[in-house]
This record gives sequence, C-alpha cells and structure tokens, in this order.
Amino acid sequence: MDFIIIAQMVVSGALMGLVYALIAYGFQLTFSTSKSINFGQGELVMLSAFFSLTLLDWGAPFWLMVPGGLLFGVVLGLAVERAGLRLALEQKSEGWILLTIIIGLLGFSAAENIWGRDDRPFPTPISSDAMQFFGVSITPLEISVAIGVFSLMGLIELFKRKTLLGKAFEAVSADRDAAELMGISATRTVMLSYGLSGLVAAMAGILVSPITTVGPTMASALILKAFSVAVVAGLDSGFGVVVVGIFLGALESLTSFYLGSGWREAPGLILLILALAVRPNGVFGKATIRKV
Amino acid sequence: MLKRLLLIRGAEIVVLVLLAAIPLMVSNSYVLGLLTLLAIYGILLIGLDVTVGYLGQVNLAHAAFLGLGAYAAGLSVSLLGFGMLSALAVSMLVGLILGGLLAFPALRLEGPQFALATLSFSALSTTVLNEWEGLTGGAQGLHVSRPIFWGHSVNAQGFYWLCLIFLALVWLAMRNLLSSQWGRAFEALRDSPIATDAMGVGTYRHKVAGFAMGSALGSLAGGLYAFNFQYLQPQSFVYELMVILLLGVVLGGRKSLWGAFFGASLVALLPNLLSNRLLFEVISALGLLAALLAGVRGLMKKTTQPFQAIAPILAMGLLVVGSMFVKNTEDWRKAIFALMLFSVVVGLPEGLMGFAARFLTQLFRIDPPSLPPAAILDTVLPAKSPDGGPLLELHDLKRYFGGVKAVDGVSITVHSGHIHGLIGPNGSGKSTAVNVISGLYAPSAGEMLLHGKALPSGMFNVARTGISRTFQNLQLFSELSALDNVMVAMKGVYCAPLPLVLMGLARGEEKRAQSDALALLELVRLKHHARISAKDLTYGDQRFLEIARALARKPELLILDEPAAGLALPDVHKLVEMIWRIHERGVTIILIEHHMDVVSELCDVVTVLDGGRVIAEGSAEEVKRDPRVIKAYLGTVDEATSAKITN
Repeated sequence: MDFIIIAQMVVSGALMGLVYALIAYGFQLTFSTSKSINFGQGELVMLSAFFSLTLLDWGAPFWLMVPGGLLFGVVLGLAVERAGLRLALEQKSEGWILLTIIIGLLGFSAAENIWGRDDRPFPTPISSDAMQFFGVSITPLEISVAIGVFSLMGLIELFKRKTLLGKAFEAVSADRDAAELMGISATRTVMLSYGLSGLVAAMAGILVSPITTVGPTMASALILKAFSVAVVAGLDSGFGVVVVGIFLGALESLTSFYLGSGWREAPGLILLILALAVRPNGVFGKATIRKV
Repeated sequence: MLKRLLLIRGAEIVVLVLLAAIPLMVSNSYVLGLLTLLAIYGILLIGLDVTVGYLGQVNLAHAAFLGLGAYAAGLSVSLLGFGMLSALAVSMLVGLILGGLLAFPALRLEGPQFALATLSFSALSTTVLNEWEGLTGGAQGLHVSRPIFWGHSVNAQGFYWLCLIFLALVWLAMRNLLSSQWGRAFEALRDSPIATDAMGVGTYRHKVAGFAMGSALGSLAGGLYAFNFQYLQPQSFVYELMVILLLGVVLGGRKSLWGAFFGASLVALLPNLLSNRLLFEVISALGLLAALLAGVRGLMKKTTQPFQAIAPILAMGLLVVGSMFVKNTEDWRKAIFALMLFSVVVGLPEGLMGFAARFLTQLFRIDPPSLPPAAILDTVLPAKSPDGGPLLELHDLKRYFGGVKAVDGVSITVHSGHIHGLIGPNGSGKSTAVNVISGLYAPSAGEMLLHGKALPSGMFNVARTGISRTFQNLQLFSELSALDNVMVAMKGVYCAPLPLVLMGLARGEEKRAQSDALALLELVRLKHHARISAKDLTYGDQRFLEIARALARKPELLILDEPAAGLALPDVHKLVEMIWRIHERGVTIILIEHHMDVVSELCDVVTVLDGGRVIAEGSAEEVKRDPRVIKAYLGTVDEATSAKITN
C-alpha cells in the first residue's frame, strides 16, 4: 500500500517535472547561441498562459487558442531579446542579467493588474478522469503534458538538425565568430533562439495551466525549478534536462508528501547550489577549457 | 591636496552633522522613522555594493541576508536575552558565516551562474524562515523587543543616532578597505580572474572575503532593521525587495559610498513617493525630461547608441502616460520600479553618483592625490648574481587535450641568469608548455622542478614560488590604472592584517607600494602614464605594462609569452632594451617569440619545439642551421627542386 502511494507520488511528480524540463530547455536554446538566459522566463510562461486564457474567454476554440498563445510567447521572447539582451550582448557585458530580471518584474506587475492576483482555472477539453495502471492513477491530462513536451522538443531538435536555418543555429552555438565570417547573422540567430524559447515557454504555460491553474505567482514557482533542472543537467544537454526534470519532479513531490508542501522547493534549490559547487557545467554538461 | 581633503572630507562631515541634527530641529516621529530607515539602508547598500560594484556580480541574496540578520538579532534577544550590541554582533556573525559558506560554491562561478546561486539561496532562506515555525513563528511573524544598550533603554531618537553611528563607522571602515589592496584586488578579480591568480593575488580568498563582508553588512543592517520595526515577517525579505535594493545601488552609482547613500535615500523615500500622487507625477515627468535631454544630446553628439538613448525615453514616457491613467499607483509599484530601473540601467549605467562625480571634479578641479617619488629600482628589484645552475627543470612533460598531444614529452633545463628562448612554428606547443608551467593546466604526465623541488599545482600557488608571467593575449585589469595594475601584484609590501586596514592604519604600506610600482613603471617607460587606465593605453604600452606587473611579483623566473607580437618596430627595440635591463638584474627569463632577430640578440640558449616535442636546442646560431628546424619551419625540399634553385 505504502509502495503504491510512493509510486503514485513519483509518477505524478515526474510528469510535472517534464514541464520544468521544457522550460529549462528554453534556457538551453538561448544559452547555446548567446551564453545568456532570460531570468524572466517564468513571467513569459505566466503571461502566455493568461493570454491563452483570455483567448478562450473571448470565445476562441481550443485548437485556435494553442497557436495564438504560442505566437504570443514568440512575440514576448523577441521583445525580451530586443529590450534586454541585444545592447548588453553587443557590449559584451552582463547587464542582461539585471535587465531580464527587470523586464520580468514589469511583466509580473502587468499581469497582476490586468488579470488580477488570484489563481484562475484553465478550461481544457482533455479529460481529467483518472485511469489506473498497476494501482497508479494517471489522467489523460497528465499524459497530454508528456506528449506536448516531447513532441515540441522533438520538433525543435528536428528543426535544428534538418533545416538550413537550424544548421545556422547550430553553427552560431558552436562558434559565433566563425559563423559570422561564413555570412550567418549572429544577431538574427540570437533573435531566433529567443523566439523559440518564448514559444517553449508559452507551450509550458498552456500545458501546465489546466493542472495547476493560472496566477501571477506561478511564474516564480516554475522558474526556480526550471533553473534547478537547467543547472543540474547542464546548459547544453537536451537529454539531460528531461532526465533531471523527471528526477526533480519526483523528488519534489515526495518531499512535499513527507515534509509538508512548504518545503517542496527546498531539494531543487539545494541541488542547484550543490551542482554549481561540484559540477558547474552540470551533470550532463561538458567541461570547458580555459584559454589565455 | 588640501583642497581635496577639505572638499571631500568636509562634505562627509557636513552631511553627517546635518543628519544628526535633524531630530533636534524637527520633532516628528514620521521624519525620524524615515531617517532611521535611511541609515539602515545605507549600511545595507554599502554591503551590496561590494559584490555588485567591486566584484561586478549580480547578487540576489542580499535581501535574504537582511532577513537572516534580522531574525538572528531578534531571536538572540528573545531566546538568549542578549543586549543590543551582542545581538548585532550575532547578526553580523550569521551574515559572515552564511555569506562565507555560500561564497564557497559560488566561488568558481561567474555572471549568470553566480546570480542563480544567490537567487536559490535567497529562495531557500525564505522557505526556512517560513517553515521553521517553532523558531521563527513562520508566516505569523515574530515580535522583537528593542533590547537595552549598555544598561540603558533606547528611545526612537537614541536608536536613530545609534544607527547613524553605525553608518559612519561602516562608511569609514569600507572606505579604508576599498581604497586598500583589498579593493584593488576585488576590481582586479572582476576584470581578469586568470591574471589575478597568475599574479599571486588569489581569486579564491578575495571573492569569499568580499562576499562574506558584504553579507555581514547586510545582516548588520538586518539587526538594526529588526530593532527598528520590532516585527518581522519572512515575506518582507523577498525578491521584490531585492530588486529595489539593486535599483538603489545602480541608480546611486556603483563603486561609490556616496552612491550607496543616495541609493539608500531613494529606497527609503520610494514608498512615500508612490503614495503621493502629485509628487509621483512630478518625478516621473522630471525623469522623462532628463531621459529626453540626455537622449537627444547623446544622439546629436553620437556618444550613445540609438537604443541607449531611445529606450529610457520610451520607458519614462510609459511611466508618465501610465501615471495619468492608473487609478492606484500602489498596485503598479513593481512595474514602476521596473521602468525606473530599466531606464537607469540602460541610459545611465554609471549611476547618479558616477555622473555627478565626473561633473564635480571638473567643477572644483580636484586633482587626484599626488604620488610619492618613485623608489630606487635597486630597492624594488635588487640585483642578484645568479650562479648559473639549473633553475627550472622539465622532465618528460606531457599535456594532452583529448587526443591532441599539445605537449608530448618535453624535457628542458633552464639555467639561472639565462634568457632561454622557446621557439617553434604555430601549434608546436609553446604556449601550452608555458600554461602548464605556470599552473593554468595540470600536466598529463611528467615532472617540473624549481630549484630541485616539485612545482605546486594551480596558478596561484605557482605564482607564489617566484614564477611570474605575461600573457600572449593581454590579461590586464582593464578598468584599473597602470599604477594600480602594478600595485595589485606587488609582492612583499602588504602585510597589515585586515583589522588594521579597516581602521585605516595601513596607509604607510600603500605609499610604499605606490613608489615601488612607480619605479617599475619607470623601468618599462610608463611612469608618465601611471594614472591612465590600462584599457586606454596604446597596444605596445599595454604589453609593457604586463611586464611591469609581472616584475612586481619580484620573480626569480619571468616567462614572457610572445611579448613582441604585434608590436611596431620602435616598440620592439624598446622591448629588447627593456629585457636587457631586466636580465641585468639577475632575473632568469623564458622568452617565447617569433621574431628571430629578437631571439638571436637576446637568448643564451634556444629550445625549438615542433609537434609538442623538442627538436633542437643550442645557441641561436646553432639552432638556425639545424636541418630539423629548417624542415619544421619551411618544409623539405627534394633534391631535384633544390638543384633547380641552385642553378
């Protein structure tokens, strides 16, 4: 009996963990092209989710809401790149850290005032009636999260490998200067990566909202875990985020079961600090050699 | 000199006296509360400026240290019955220890990773304060009573003066610290961690010390905060406060005590600014005006990028337009902070104080403090008569990168007093060999002996054994002046312990370091540029400055990694003459160089590397005639072709 409970915790935690993995994947996209991440990514998730909810409120059908929300995420990602990243990257400074934090705060405040401070339910046509697998109950909704995460990540990886634009993306990730000399615009590629990471954030928002509800505070709750996943896995391993995401999600759900929900964020945070201390490039990351 | 002292110290004293006198003139508890908050935030921001300004890292844990310090003080009063001073000491200690502990993992991290580590620490401490209900009372909050101070109970006015005294003490101590070797080391660390280690300054302890001290100040401010408000809640110390604190530091101006003070006034006044509608509208209009003026001026003079000029105008414009439509500004406070901070970070990155300082020094024509006369070179770099015995021995040294055998079994003996040339075609392993000797890379195999003793591992430790180096790709501390670049590496001058430095009793060694550094600058013909920051020197002068900085380590063995690369011919002559003069002082030199004329003129022995192996060794003339060397540089010529050439 006890074992069933633990298995249940692990499975539903792991499915949530996939959402963290998806957001962390968004960090990897931008980190690979520009060595920068959007500290306000959580706000992107939240704003896209709210926007999608508004589309539904306006009477848009579900199949139209999804692309609408994703497009909104792309636009936000591009806006962050323009306002917060481009100048700092040109000047090779780390001013973008502060600027993306600031833009996130602006987004948070806007959401608080436009959509209110309360959590709101997010309607979905997918059923949340539990199905039993060996005593562990899983809802179709949770399965839809897994499908959504894997299909989006798979599509983006396919795009990076099979299309010319995607190859340019990989080229800039490998060596920015060499790519520029070959006639690839690094600025446009960074834009592309921020657009994609906005898309990924919006997808995460649309996937997770039916389970968790939508509210301004979802931003900070999600982003800390996504940071943990990204750092523990390493900022260059797409496979790593999925593994670590599943692990962390399960760990978090067990922690909140045994220690109380207030502590649920603690293991992720401790893991993050430990990972930075022991393996700054992440468990699945490659070590870099200092050159002088 | 006198004018400088009068103006700068005078301004400090006048402001302090004014602040202290205000409660005597106005008896208003509201004003008193604001002033107390100002003093507390002043301490807090001075602490934050150490990491954000001097170490140049985005620190998101400072609000957490404020909270931890506050709870530590509050609990040591309620649980342990401590008096005020001992409770504050507990606060500081908590900040110092936790700051030190956090700095250890955060130690190796730069930029985003550092920000992430501090962010998670911050979230973690909020979780603990919230959830450890038995101790902290959790979300219910904690009531703190203001304890007695040396047997007296303290009223609000007395407490304000106490806070002011703490602010003044912190101000003095930090001024002493930051203008000492410590402050220079913090800044050196920001500009080039590699060179900081290579110069034996130590990134490790300075980063930990800087972060721990900054955090201790944050916690001290937390203790005062607890006794001021007498009620604590975990929610007070979250992310939003952190952003406001960063706003204070950035708007006030980084790397400046006055900047921290102005930032603190702003942070203390902000809530009032938002609650008074008219005041808010006036200030946002003024902000828009300032952004417009600065932006248009910058665009006309082409000193700023279009984005830098336009974005603040848009942000402030949004603030003004927003202020007309929004009913309750309190609801939008986060957005308002965000827009202000955005404008400042983009449009005025040096902050108000950086801007004002430039303006004021021009207005009053304040000269920088005068420099002491240069020391005699013999006292700085005493001439030695080397015995010619083996100094550095490499036995079968190897360094592989994956499958690449960059250095593949190199054995070299460098004799003391020699100038030992190390040449070879590009990619032959010269720089890697030097990087292994100086400790940047650990060797894959082999032995390295200095005076017959094995070299320690790590750049910092190697630098301490008396090996000093320059870098092929310059690694100067670009924001520091030429003089400071040399001073920061100066060996054997700074001995005063930290407490003496904090009390300002270590000025003597500062003067000595200055005159010693000037002597070295004179050696490389840079004395007249002592006050110019390294990034503004010409390329040739930057190369020479690196040599002076390496000499400040008073090395037995000096490694010059392609010092003539990219130099114009007159500079090459200067360099050759410079190396002779260093050689005359008995310093052993390893010279990596491509200019064969320089090598021929200077070197006693030349070792030639190719493909990670030694292919020839001998005098420059011998080496030049060696067929293997000719082959490595020019390739082989078969007999038929060579016959054609000779015909």
